Amino acid sequence: IQDPSNANPNPKPNANPAKKKRNLPGTPDPDAEVIALSPKTLMATNRFICEICKKGFQRDQNLQLHRRGHNLPWKLRQRTNKEVRKKVYICPEKTCVHHDPSRALGDLTGIKKHFSRKHGEKKWKCEKCSKKYAVQSDWKAHSKTCGTREYKCDCGTLFSRKDSFITHRAFCDALAEESARLTSVAATSLNFRNDTVNLPHGFAGRGVQDVAGIPQFGSGFPQDFSGMPAPGLPEMVQMAPANLFGSSSHFPGFENGGATSSNSNNLSLSQLPQGLKEEGRNEGNLMESLSSLYSDNQNKQSKANASPMSATALLQKAAQMGSTRSNPSFFGNSFGVMSSSSSHTAPTFMASSSASMSATSNKLDKLMLQTGGKPSEPSLLNMHHPGSNSFAQSLTRDFLGMSNDQSPRPFLPQELAKYAAIGSTMGLSQFTSSNH
Amino acid sequence: MIPEGPSPVTSSPLQFFPWMSPSPGIGSPFPWLWELKPEERGLWLIRLLVACANHVAAGSLENANIGLEQISHLASPDGDTMQRIAAYFTEALANRMLKAWPGLHKALNSTKISSVPDEILVQKLFFELCPFLKLAYIITNQAIVEAMEGEKMVHIIDLNSCEPAQWINLFQTFSARPEGPPHLRITGIHEQKEVLEQMALRLTEEAEKLDIPFQFNPIVCKLENLDLESLRVKTGEALAVSSVLQLHSLLATDDEVPRRNFNSPPVSKTRVLQMTQRTFGEWLEKEPVHIYNPSSDIASSPSSLAPAPKMGSFLAALRALSPKVMVVTEQESNHNGPTLMERVIEALNFYAALFDCLESTVSRAPIERQKVEKMLFGEEIKNIIACEGGERKERHEKLEKWILRLELAGFGRVPLSYHGMLQAGRLLQTNNYDGYKMKEENGCLVMCWQERPLYSISAWGFRR
Repeated sequence: IQDPSNANPNPKPNANPAKKKRNLPGTPDPDAEVIALSPKTLMATNRFICEICKKGFQRDQNLQLHRRGHNLPWKLRQRTNKEVRKKVYICPEKTCVHHDPSRALGDLTGIKKHFSRKHGEKKWKCEKCSKKYAVQSDWKAHSKTCGTREYKCDCGTLFSRKDSFITHRAFCDALAEESARLTSVAATSLNFRNDTVNLPHGFAGRGVQDVAGIPQFGSGFPQDFSGMPAPGLPEMVQMAPANLFGSSSHFPGFENGGATSSNSNNLSLSQLPQGLKEEGRNEGNLMESLSSLYSDNQNKQSKANASPMSATALLQKAAQMGSTRSNPSFFGNSFGVMSSSSSHTAPTFMASSSASMSATSNKLDKLMLQTGGKPSEPSLLNMHHPGSNSFAQSLTRDFLGMSNDQSPRPFLPQELAKYAAIGSTMGLSQFTSSNH
Repeated sequence: MIPEGPSPVTSSPLQFFPWMSPSPGIGSPFPWLWELKPEERGLWLIRLLVACANHVAAGSLENANIGLEQISHLASPDGDTMQRIAAYFTEALANRMLKAWPGLHKALNSTKISSVPDEILVQKLFFELCPFLKLAYIITNQAIVEAMEGEKMVHIIDLNSCEPAQWINLFQTFSARPEGPPHLRITGIHEQKEVLEQMALRLTEEAEKLDIPFQFNPIVCKLENLDLESLRVKTGEALAVSSVLQLHSLLATDDEVPRRNFNSPPVSKTRVLQMTQRTFGEWLEKEPVHIYNPSSDIASSPSSLAPAPKMGSFLAALRALSPKVMVVTEQESNHNGPTLMERVIEALNFYAALFDCLESTVSRAPIERQKVEKMLFGEEIKNIIACEGGERKERHEKLEKWILRLELAGFGRVPLSYHGMLQAGRLLQTNNYDGYKMKEENGCLVMCWQERPLYSISAWGFRR
């Protein structure tokens, strides 16, 4: 049954122990004999077999006692004179650390327990907390202490061990701060990617494994959600902790500020087209905005490999573009042009629509400008009124194909080229300022 | 080379640039203006949408019409996300405009056939494609199980009973209880008889398998017509209520009281007298509530609750039943603003996130996605934008307002447990739902898509 392989272990040379000294686990005596048992042998409960009736026993002494019943002479194991060579055992699992002879374990019972714990099936379950164990003695030991003493963190996690509780708590505060910081950044950046909070691996493991109070409800985990692959729940608590916190990175470090989420909502609400609010028009504004759109897009295409912007990102961008000083005209123009398009009914229509436009834009401004901004001035509409003679306004009117006579005239490509030239140089700066 | 442009009223985005010839290539010196890249088109769509909504809000239908025409060149129910969103929003805006001619509107909608199997299918699709309902059910069940610890008789009122999986999950949890499962009764409410029949079938089957004494009481009616007293809640029963995306419809009311009277004193002498005579609950039903004097911004002011008589009486009746726990899942967005523009902007942000999330989760099943977009989201958008008064049922409100309402109605908050969140997180994990998050806020949970909160869950018990 035993196939001793006398592989030469090459651990670091040790001084000869005069008396029996307990080594660090997994750092065996260099002179020891390395024994590799197969998994079957390792897990065999009854290794000592009676040759007569083939009955198995866990211990040699028990077998000897049994053999007396067959009237066989029972062999007493004499203490041999020569020094018994120490035996160490390696784990049969190839991927295991203890498979290497230099990390062999010195105790047969130890290697058996190790193999069960790490590579075996967890058959023993705690009644109170559904925690599962592969080794019966582990389970017994746990059952004694389960639920007896509990520490509770502010975030609600329960611990049975003081040290793991303290470790968790230290990181728990950090988590809360971190997630608060992250969400405030999120509100202002474009295409915000999900920054998972990476917990130190060790902590995460401790924290999760020590949650004592998980009730048996877990066993009733949803298995009937049609269309879903059954989420197998082998170990409720002992799953890879990094995964647990990976995709749902906001717990256990709970968000304490309800304010953060509502803030981000208000932000987007208020930042949508502020273009309705009209400030003085600067020359080249319009071209700046248009060409910046173009260069924005160019850059994004090259950066993002033509991956389409999500609708939420678009809305954020629209809000930002609407809110920066150089862009108010962009939105204002589309707005303005729509009404000017029916200029065949010219002045009366314009007058009435301008009145309604200012009314709604006022409403919209009040609505939008929660985070501080100026209400719209009627200057939005000035561009459509004849007689205003600032350079900026005539420039934009020209661009829109409207000269002072208010009828849209065809736009010459040369003029467009002029604007494009002006705009493109400014485009880049616009881009860099709006792109985080 | 420069064509005399078409009459200015013919609309296309190109009319902004009248030198353009209609076809690209020859005569278009600047192709970047003609071939709008998707992002630019998306940005245009947003601006045009908001502008058009402004016109609709202001009642200038001619301008709105032009806007709609312009958007129609860029939007499409088959295009990219922003194009599809724009398509549904413009449909909603158009619907609203059409109501200015009620005869026309009624005639156009007169031959609509609503298909019950389709509606059921769409609900099922939403349940399967997105994790939100599953998460809501998990958390709801966890709260129920915890509240019912030790109870022998449990009665659950399900305000929208359409998904058997919700309760089957609860059965399993209950049957694994150390003290064994309780005697379980579920009262399921739904407008369609077929749905309840299906529920009854599935649930009774499962309960038998798990050996749980179970009874299903179907009630076919609209939520607003529900008579809670007729529910035969027995003494000795522990009562739980599950409300998944239902409560907001009770906020619909025909009397829209203008809420901008900040300058008027909130309570006059006569009103004080009246207050002492009526109960607080009754007063709540009739008056807008100003907890503090808000600033001049009207949007999303959490302090002023829109009056909602139906909600008031419903909650009062519910409270009279002394439920042990009531779990409320709602959309986390303010779609109940008094002005159209408020609602348009909020809805744009909310549904953009929903469309994005649906797109990223099911990009490979466009037909199913389109169904959900059209028949679920599209209908909600239409209701939010085109309807008013009692017809406007999708009156979503944010958690802070729900908290106010429920607390005023005499409910106390029951914090949601960590275990529920763990299970929820596990669901997201094992199904590779990337980009979804659960956040905790004061004992309530918020389901988010990429930092954008979408649905909130909170649990309530009755306060003595």
